[in-house]
Amino acid sequence: MIEAVAPTAWTYSPVEGHYDEVLDSRGRPRRHWRRLANTMTRLGPQQFARRWQHGRQLIQANGITFNVYGDPLGQERPWPVDPIPLILADHEWETIEAAVLQRAMLFNHLLGDIYGPQRCLSDGGLPPELIFHNPGFLRPCHGLPVPRSVFLHHYAADFGRSPDGQWWVLSDRTQTPSGLGYALENRMVSAQILPEAFRSSHVRPLTRYFHEYRQGLFELTRTKRDSPRVVLLTPGPFNEAYFEHAYLAKYLGYTLVEGADLVVRDERVYLKTLGGLSPVDIILRRQDDSYCDPLSFRGDSVLGVPGLLAAVRAGNVVVANALGTGVLETPALSGFLPGLCESRLSEKLKVPSLASWWCGEPQACRYVLNHLAELVIKPAFPRFGLHPIFAAQLSATDRDDLRRRIEANPSQFVAQEQMALSTAPVLSEQGLEARHLVLRVFAVWSGDGYVVMPGGLTRISTSQDSLVVSLQQGGGSKDTWILTQREEEPLPETARAPVDVTRTPDMPSRVADNMFWLGRYLERVESLARLARVLLPSLSSEADLGGGMSIEAAVELLIGYEYLPDEMSHAPVPEQRRWLERVLRWIVFDTERVNALSWNISQVRRSARSLKERLSSDAWRLLNRLDQEFPSGMISGEAHLLDQLNTLDRAILTLASFSGLMTENMTRSQGWRFLDMGRRLERALQLVELMRHGLAGALTDENAALDMLLQIADSGITYRMRYYTAMQADLVLDLLLVDEANPRSVGFQIQQLAVHLKRLPGQDPSGRLPEEQQHIVKALTAIRLCKTNELSADREELRDFLDSVRGDLFSASTALSSRYLSHLTSTRLLASA
Amino acid sequence: MIYQVRHLTKYSYALPVTTTHSELRLTPRELPWQHLVRSVITVEPHYENMRGFRDYFGNAVRYCSVLTPHHELAITAESIVEVQALNPLMPAATPAWEQVRAALGNHEDPGALQAFEFAAESRYIRWTQQIADYARRSLAPGRPILEAAADLSSRIHRDFRYLPESTDIDTSVEDVFRNQRGVCQDFAHLLIAMLRAHGLAARYVSGYLRSGNIGAEASHAWVSVFVPGHGWVDLDPTNDVLVATDHITLAWGRDYGDVTPVKGITLGGGDHIIEVEVRVDPLAAVPAIADTRRASARRWDR
Repeated sequence: MIEAVAPTAWTYSPVEGHYDEVLDSRGRPRRHWRRLANTMTRLGPQQFARRWQHGRQLIQANGITFNVYGDPLGQERPWPVDPIPLILADHEWETIEAAVLQRAMLFNHLLGDIYGPQRCLSDGGLPPELIFHNPGFLRPCHGLPVPRSVFLHHYAADFGRSPDGQWWVLSDRTQTPSGLGYALENRMVSAQILPEAFRSSHVRPLTRYFHEYRQGLFELTRTKRDSPRVVLLTPGPFNEAYFEHAYLAKYLGYTLVEGADLVVRDERVYLKTLGGLSPVDIILRRQDDSYCDPLSFRGDSVLGVPGLLAAVRAGNVVVANALGTGVLETPALSGFLPGLCESRLSEKLKVPSLASWWCGEPQACRYVLNHLAELVIKPAFPRFGLHPIFAAQLSATDRDDLRRRIEANPSQFVAQEQMALSTAPVLSEQGLEARHLVLRVFAVWSGDGYVVMPGGLTRISTSQDSLVVSLQQGGGSKDTWILTQREEEPLPETARAPVDVTRTPDMPSRVADNMFWLGRYLERVESLARLARVLLPSLSSEADLGGGMSIEAAVELLIGYEYLPDEMSHAPVPEQRRWLERVLRWIVFDTERVNALSWNISQVRRSARSLKERLSSDAWRLLNRLDQEFPSGMISGEAHLLDQLNTLDRAILTLASFSGLMTENMTRSQGWRFLDMGRRLERALQLVELMRHGLAGALTDENAALDMLLQIADSGITYRMRYYTAMQADLVLDLLLVDEANPRSVGFQIQQLAVHLKRLPGQDPSGRLPEEQQHIVKALTAIRLCKTNELSADREELRDFLDSVRGDLFSASTALSSRYLSHLTSTRLLASA
Repeated sequence: MIYQVRHLTKYSYALPVTTTHSELRLTPRELPWQHLVRSVITVEPHYENMRGFRDYFGNAVRYCSVLTPHHELAITAESIVEVQALNPLMPAATPAWEQVRAALGNHEDPGALQAFEFAAESRYIRWTQQIADYARRSLAPGRPILEAAADLSSRIHRDFRYLPESTDIDTSVEDVFRNQRGVCQDFAHLLIAMLRAHGLAARYVSGYLRSGNIGAEASHAWVSVFVPGHGWVDLDPTNDVLVATDHITLAWGRDYGDVTPVKGITLGGGDHIIEVEVRVDPLAAVPAIADTRRASARRWDR
């Protein structure tokens, strides 16, 4: 923990031979850093650490995460942000801004040419390999209509600073530049923990940029509809930047969708919603283009929207960035940019790219082979899993091997100089430490040209010695403050155009589906936790542990559930106990079995993950807590009985808090309705199961069994308040099956389901009940009319009755799914000779 | 020669398919030596719309989607095509293969620049050192390109066995080379890989073949090689011939992936069976056009 070791005064020493962003050559803070330096001096390391502690809580509370591919520890890591921003003075920023604008224009122009007349090839401006042999050149996109010739809607460039203080462009992002959402989050954090410095330094705000962002998209479909529907297409929760996709969608007010949410009909793209198909005008794409349409590109991709290209070809949908823009993400391009810039824009390239050599040119290749040890070798056409090679770090044999690979296929390689990147301080456990940094700057088309976001995402290296800046490999990030002398003009009036009240926005069917299953899994967790909590005490050496719980009753119930084999009912008590213990342990902790609690918690997490943007931070916190309550170590078997009980108690309380949040804090949207329907349906099913196994079977000790049922169903107190008698099966049945005033009865769940179903969109005005309602009404009526004394007298009949209720519930669930929820059938490619 | 072609592709599914989106490359190309008299494509069941466009390589494509649940999808393409003989090219009179290699990609020569697209690896065209070595024996220094290509084509015809159903779409060139058997598509890919391995430009041609030749009972595939000064010259390694009037050209591209005659994405369906039937009948003259319309299907005429 930082506060434990925080020193009492700041010390900071830059790295020899690198430009330091804060201290000048004489070791004094540069002018534009002075206000922040003053604030930090005033606060001192300890108070600063306390503030940072608060900042980190903010990050956790907001669930800001990113995914690391191939990380065995799990999918998500908290977003690594450093509390000290990078600060740039305005004169310096002007250089960067102008360079980004120029590049955005140049790249957009090049894309229009590459996917059009290809003059850059016929006039020799670009070697044909860079297009024709480039897997990012998507031939099906050639000649597609692109409104207002805006191929590149958003663009980002990574900048690095060399020891002489010059900025260089390290790489260009033209496909789906990421980081914007994280930049926004970093700003929120830094402004919150350093409010004085933020205000007094005159930091340029980011909000205007997002206004321009929306405006630019709007302009692309201006002629079509007054309020175009924009969706943000994400590859889904397993993508490294899913959090950002969800965050940006929410911030910009667009619907977050996955490929399966969209469907193409009549060469138009539609969003599948609960209310039916809703037309889509713009797709803000965060998915690589070659995955966007399995019909035209990769047939093996299940992420895409079959037929999307047909809709683009017909001019019915705009995709931003246009499909095919990844063609420019080759490091081989940079050597040709100065020439292209002069011939296309008649300007000099403002900020050069890092020196690089494309080995497809014989002269460049010779240079590279002669200077291999000083260079970083990259694939000319980036592919997932191909990493830069630092030739200096290779053994002599490996280097020779690399040399041979380059000689065999020179056009596939690019060599770049390794830049001595500048440094800035980061907060570490020892105080301040210098780290190397790369600044990502963003530009967007605003309707009449490009604008640059006054800020950016600063990424930092993992250590002082490392020049690798990669979040995937454990680096961090910083907010970026651009200082200004001028007052920012207020946003134009149109930026605040009134928005109509919408109470029931269309919800993608997939979201409703996830809500429904989140509800079901949560309830499954709860019922398993309750079951285990009631059964656990029967393991103690006392045959009867206070609550009338006997080991026989527990064994019989678990035999009913088929957790234990039939013959266990006649086994000697010590063996029963051993088995019971084993079974209870895996009911709670096994992550592999579908009827175990931990497995269901992992499913809760899965469903919740793709609902990220729709759950409040409190709800997230509770789900996180639930996850943490079941440390995987406990499966090993050392956990003490009491520890297990405590764990279960905590889990049940966490679930109760979640229910409370649902009741008190969630808007009664369709999403809430599906979440609640999932819970009700699952609880009804679980209660039916419980009664089938606890009542309908052959019971040795009925009293103990009934008591156990009441405890598991959390209705023991109600029973004792009502009846001062011993346990009576018909009374227990009434309370758990029929009584609609008991929120733990089957009747209550089904009655609630009936209410929900009536409120779903698409009701028949003639009053005819759709199928799912028919099943529910049938089950509800059967329960209301049943005679509990007869059922309790004839256990065969009770079993049949419960089976029929269960059948109706299953049918209702199936009908509901096929009517409202997306059919997540997988697509596949057919090809014929 | 005038041909009438009927090409039926039928998918039968175990489970209903709710949606099919497909791209059809079933319309023969209009070429200096090939005239398309008529082409009708019918899709059953009822399709939503059928839009025509030309792809990057200039092939005619029909896009259509079937949005009603179906257990079967039948696509019938019927064409009448007139093919003329070109003046035969003397292989010995073509430029040396090294000269061709050097010219490829030259931005001052539009033909050589475009041909360069067909000189690299592509999805179905990958080669190994063994494949390159096999080809080298036909590529003596200074040998005229067409002579070399024809020699390679003959060697493939001689050394490899034509064996229907011995391979499928995903069989790699490397496997075909190792097992020494395959079908027309494999031999086309193999010849292309051998030419490209030595820096030459070769493209994949899909089409039909007059009955009596090997591979005429299905759609056919062969190779086109770039010969500066003459353009593209077609060779058929499956039948070991220079293409004349027995071949009808549908489409060309870098490999099979660019010109798949029927390509579709389905939703649902389970297991499926494909039936393909191709009939190529020479006609004495361009016939009066009969109405082949079916009541349940809309049709598209060229």
